[in-house]
Amino acid sequence: MWMLRIDMTDRSYKLEEVAERYQKLGGRGLTSTLIHDEVDPTCHPLGPNNKLVFSAGILSGTPSPSSSRISIGGKSPLTGGIKESNSGAGFAPALARMRVKAVVVEGQPAEKGAYWMVHLTWDGDKPAVEFLPAAEYVGEDLYVSYAKLYERFGKRVHVAGVGKAGELGYRNSGVAFDDMRHKPTRFSGRGGLGAVMASKGLKFVVLNSEGAPGVEYADKELFMQGAKKLRAALGEHALTKPQGALNTYGTCVLVNIINEAGAFPTRNFRTGRFAGAAKISGEAIFENNKQRMGKEIYNHACSPGCVIQCSNTIYAENGEEIVSCVEYESDWALGANCGIDDLDAIAKMVKLCNAYSLDTIETGDAIAVAMDSGLLEFGDAEGAIALIEQMGHGEPLGRILGGGTQATADAFGNPRSPAVKGQGMPAYEPRAIKGIGVTYATSTMGADHTAGYTIAPEIAGSGGKVDPLLADASKADLSRAFQKTTAMLDSTGHCLFISFAILDIPSGFEGMIEELNGMLGTHYTGDEAVAWGGEILKVERAFNEAAGLTPVDDRLPEFMKYEQLPPHDVVADVSDEIMDQVYGEL
Amino acid sequence: MHIEVWLYGPLARYGGSEGKIAALVQAELPAQSTVADLLASLELPTEERGITFINGDLSAMPGLQPDLGRILNDGDRIAFSHLKSMWPFQYRHAAALTGEMQGAVQARADGGMRSRFDEEQLSPGE
Repeated sequence: MWMLRIDMTDRSYKLEEVAERYQKLGGRGLTSTLIHDEVDPTCHPLGPNNKLVFSAGILSGTPSPSSSRISIGGKSPLTGGIKESNSGAGFAPALARMRVKAVVVEGQPAEKGAYWMVHLTWDGDKPAVEFLPAAEYVGEDLYVSYAKLYERFGKRVHVAGVGKAGELGYRNSGVAFDDMRHKPTRFSGRGGLGAVMASKGLKFVVLNSEGAPGVEYADKELFMQGAKKLRAALGEHALTKPQGALNTYGTCVLVNIINEAGAFPTRNFRTGRFAGAAKISGEAIFENNKQRMGKEIYNHACSPGCVIQCSNTIYAENGEEIVSCVEYESDWALGANCGIDDLDAIAKMVKLCNAYSLDTIETGDAIAVAMDSGLLEFGDAEGAIALIEQMGHGEPLGRILGGGTQATADAFGNPRSPAVKGQGMPAYEPRAIKGIGVTYATSTMGADHTAGYTIAPEIAGSGGKVDPLLADASKADLSRAFQKTTAMLDSTGHCLFISFAILDIPSGFEGMIEELNGMLGTHYTGDEAVAWGGEILKVERAFNEAAGLTPVDDRLPEFMKYEQLPPHDVVADVSDEIMDQVYGEL
Repeated sequence: MHIEVWLYGPLARYGGSEGKIAALVQAELPAQSTVADLLASLELPTEERGITFINGDLSAMPGLQPDLGRILNDGDRIAFSHLKSMWPFQYRHAAALTGEMQGAVQARADGGMRSRFDEEQLSPGE
């Protein structure tokens, strides 16, 4: 295994052996540990001293089901703290097959505004890098650029890239990966890492793993046994099986449920229920597609080896594809949160965000704050589309919104900024779903809906009886357990959605642990694997503390403490002491 | 009494909608009617419904339906979703539940920490 260091200051690279400390790590565990070990927490995120790390999950590149997650890490220009953002993409297994444990991008070219691409190939017995000029792609729609890149390098490559939002240094810019049809639709969207990549003069990483030797197993038999158990659980469970909840309705299956729960943030978090929810639901997407295409269309995989296959496609009346895919979070951010109930308009906005490499959540939150500030009316889809275009074109107002939710609220003097640590909230109202509120507030990543997943009640309950309804103290305990579990899962390369099945099917959970042990040669129990996730949180937390973040940053926005949220008419009332217990007892 | 009933996805047909997106039914029921009475009036078999809400409080999930005997009140909003809907635990932790649902999950050793409750017998791969 190698650590590949790429210095963008002079466009040089070196292959290093993987240090002992990093050998059992992958994905988020490795990106966060490297950033903690090598990056000055006080550095400017867009300056020469930040680094950008790519790492595939530990199980990526194997036949393990739904294991193609690629993590990117760095200091976030959005939160000022550590950031890991991951995506399902063929890039992950390809990097793993080349036995590159991590790609560490360092330095910064002296030439401002100059861009290169890194072409990473397999050279007989090791990876090799060439640096190619990328000026011809600067400022271009990423869909156009990716089509050109696939024309130039062939269909077998994988691409990580940044678009205009990254070039402009936006805090709401993500990094795009190619989907199964070579389009730039799979995003490590959150935290502004697209701007970090662009700040290094790096426009694309083009990866060709042809000839690479593939991954190594410590105990292949154990690994295969575990993968078989996990595959069986995913194939059996109602949420993850073929034509199950996610394969039929996609993540937008949550729209009607969260709306009925009174927890669907609407019009910049003014209410928890949206009158137009059913029109933008997963059920509506499925039925509209059936009507428009004349047949039932089930969802597809975002990346090789995914058995859950939850990515939808939105088709227009004339049968043409508008975009693939619209996730629940994007649907909500650019829909209900902006008071917009027109699915086709939402799909169009998602496509624009992809083209410019904008994070859909942060973009929707920023537009909603602008609407809340009186710049335009809630529900104005054309106005929202125009604002995304202004972001993509680098116009002054677009640059303010490109700064994210908090920057937009600051520019308009609006105290109603739904952000934690500067990161805009996703699609679950923390006043109505208090458990996720604790995780939003305390996550090392800022408000993050992917920070707190659970895989086994006995682990979350520390071996005892679980009582999620008990006093507030249990919310801190559970949030801590969920965050540890998630840090572990984010390191495996698995999609977090495997947790839905393995929470209910113990053999699936056992299978995942066996896969890990078979791959790494470890003897983790479930508890030990989760404790290892806790170690990842510790390095992330240490980085954030050194960067200047304090417990005061582990709070929900003030307006949520005094504004009641209809229909439950609730406020954010989990005490500061409970928030502090999450990391106080890590 | 008057009950506002939302039926989602394939359940919309029990509300007279040919589409399978959603239906809204304004139901008139005798006082003291229960959820079971409402389901009977809609001719909706209880095993076909999944996640259920009464006034935004979770009252039932697939495999766990402690709400059948609940007496409805005039003006209640009740929403029935289909069996392919989902609400993973981490996204419902400490959300509002009906009293009956609170009792039902507290009675379980896992405290209700499951994705669903109708998968208990599954043991794939064996």
